[in-house]
Amino acid sequence: MTLLPFAHALVAREDLPIPAWLFAWGASIVLIASFFALSVAWREPRFEGDRWRALGAGVSRALLGAPLQALCGAVGVFLLGVTVYAGLEGTTAPDRNFAITFVFVTAWLGFPVLSVLLGDVFRPFNPWRAIGRVVGGAFAAIAGEQPRHLPYPERLGRWPAAVGLVAFVWLEIVYGPSGGIAVALAPDDAAVAVLAYTAYTLTMMALFGVERWCERGEIFSVYFGMFASLGAFAARDGRLGARKLLSAGGGWAVLPASAAVVIASLGTTVFDGAQEGGLEGPMESAGEWLVDLGLGEVTATRIADTVFILLCVAAIWAVYEIGVRGMASVRGAPSLSRLRTAFAHTLIPIALAYLVAHYFSLFVFQEQAQFTYLLSDPLGTGSDLFGTASGGIDYRVLSANAIWYVQVGALVIGHVVGLVLAHDRATALWGDYRQAARSQYWMLAVMVAFTCLGLYLLSVANS
Amino acid sequence: MDSKVGRVSLGLVVVAAAVVLFVVLRGDDGKSPYEQMEEERLEKTAPRNDGADDGSRAEGRPSPAVPTIVVRAGKPVGGVRELDFDAGGTVRFAVRSNTVDELHIHGYDVERQLPAGRTVRVEFPASIEGIFEAELHGSGEQIAELRINP
Repeated sequence: MTLLPFAHALVAREDLPIPAWLFAWGASIVLIASFFALSVAWREPRFEGDRWRALGAGVSRALLGAPLQALCGAVGVFLLGVTVYAGLEGTTAPDRNFAITFVFVTAWLGFPVLSVLLGDVFRPFNPWRAIGRVVGGAFAAIAGEQPRHLPYPERLGRWPAAVGLVAFVWLEIVYGPSGGIAVALAPDDAAVAVLAYTAYTLTMMALFGVERWCERGEIFSVYFGMFASLGAFAARDGRLGARKLLSAGGGWAVLPASAAVVIASLGTTVFDGAQEGGLEGPMESAGEWLVDLGLGEVTATRIADTVFILLCVAAIWAVYEIGVRGMASVRGAPSLSRLRTAFAHTLIPIALAYLVAHYFSLFVFQEQAQFTYLLSDPLGTGSDLFGTASGGIDYRVLSANAIWYVQVGALVIGHVVGLVLAHDRATALWGDYRQAARSQYWMLAVMVAFTCLGLYLLSVANS
Repeated sequence: MDSKVGRVSLGLVVVAAAVVLFVVLRGDDGKSPYEQMEEERLEKTAPRNDGADDGSRAEGRPSPAVPTIVVRAGKPVGGVRELDFDAGGTVRFAVRSNTVDELHIHGYDVERQLPAGRTVRVEFPASIEGIFEAELHGSGEQIAELRINP
């Protein structure tokens, strides 16, 4: 019979769907911005060279020097250990266990935003990279030579990361026992998954080299690095520097299958949004149909959800492929495969916009838990390490209106930035400006489709 | 897109598209004409803030002042009820369960004991906007979805 001031839960509250008038305004602004972009378009590429310039040597020494790098690595490894320990030894309630919120909210949603703002900050904290480098260093000291690696099959490119990205989200939203409810994964399952991933990653690093694997196969390095490519700060040859905003995405996407990574990111976020709204009915029907075939309920739900998450990724891929094939039909177009790679980075801002639109409120609320009771009582066993165990989530910090504006604002900004990058890339690829402009009707259609899909998902979620 | 005429006409197309889109989408507010009429009727019969019950609309009769969720064997009769309230007002509904159970409203963390066969009124200030589940701890079933609108 008590009304507690604070709540404890991973998803105790869901966002209200955006109202129809805001949907209409959002869609209108998207169209107006798109046509405006067409009419004022520039003719020479402006984002092709990143014009990286080194910052002061003192800054580089302090931030990239061995002491701080070692400290960051140690922090990363420590947090990995805490996550596994909390998952295995702590409470089985996902909302009271440090492991679930730390992995799926704090790190997974925090690093993309941090990476855009500050550069690739995950790199120094990456626990697997830290372990790999220490082991590699120890090997070199003992054996007296650098460890030798297998040549990485370059055609594989970033496929391991793209597949891994889908697998990670699958684990987060499909595998959980109540299937379909955000992060219902049991903490001990999460800990076992972390251990398995650690074994896999260290093996791959031993085979192909630490940095090579981080750039191509390690899910989190690739995913967070993708967002970092939009930002202004980057290290190069051991020096920290600043570059033109948005100018490095094209360079990031040159490795094969980079488009697959961006598409996996978009597709899985779409799945998470749609399973609460538009796809809820079909997913339930599919699950029931499988139960009728004689499967257990949990298995049936997992199979149905798996099919739908793959369908979402495939749908996003199909829309992008239509855009690419459309552009290929314009005179003077480069080859299909070249186009596929050349425009992959133009979807990164939209992927970020989707992420913000779908998880902004969850992040703001759940971080209150992360830094109060999950910090002081990581196992959920009643400890109070820092005196914050009695704190919790105050849901009143965000009004529904504030959430709506952030959601629609993120989608509109992501759309405009995506258009800018696509137009810029077209002016670089097509010598003839008229043909470049013509090719961009296709990308415009792709972007409008993605942005309106994002708005649609927000307007039907939970309704 | 090179000539001035081209740009001006493009601008006009844009404005026309925006206006048409806005009118079309704003016009129906995402509801069918029947739903709108029904809502207006409900608003006349039941004062707002008194828990105007959207869930009963489907049943086609006016909502009672306090919507009551009937629970039989741990499950809500007629499925999960959707209840709408305005933020700043009061959440007000009642639950009658034929078995002993405990009601829990997520987010607000409101808990109520439900003795068998008795109607329990639930009332608390609607201070947080959003969508919240009301579930039974005993059976683990969701019985209602509370929507607190700004």
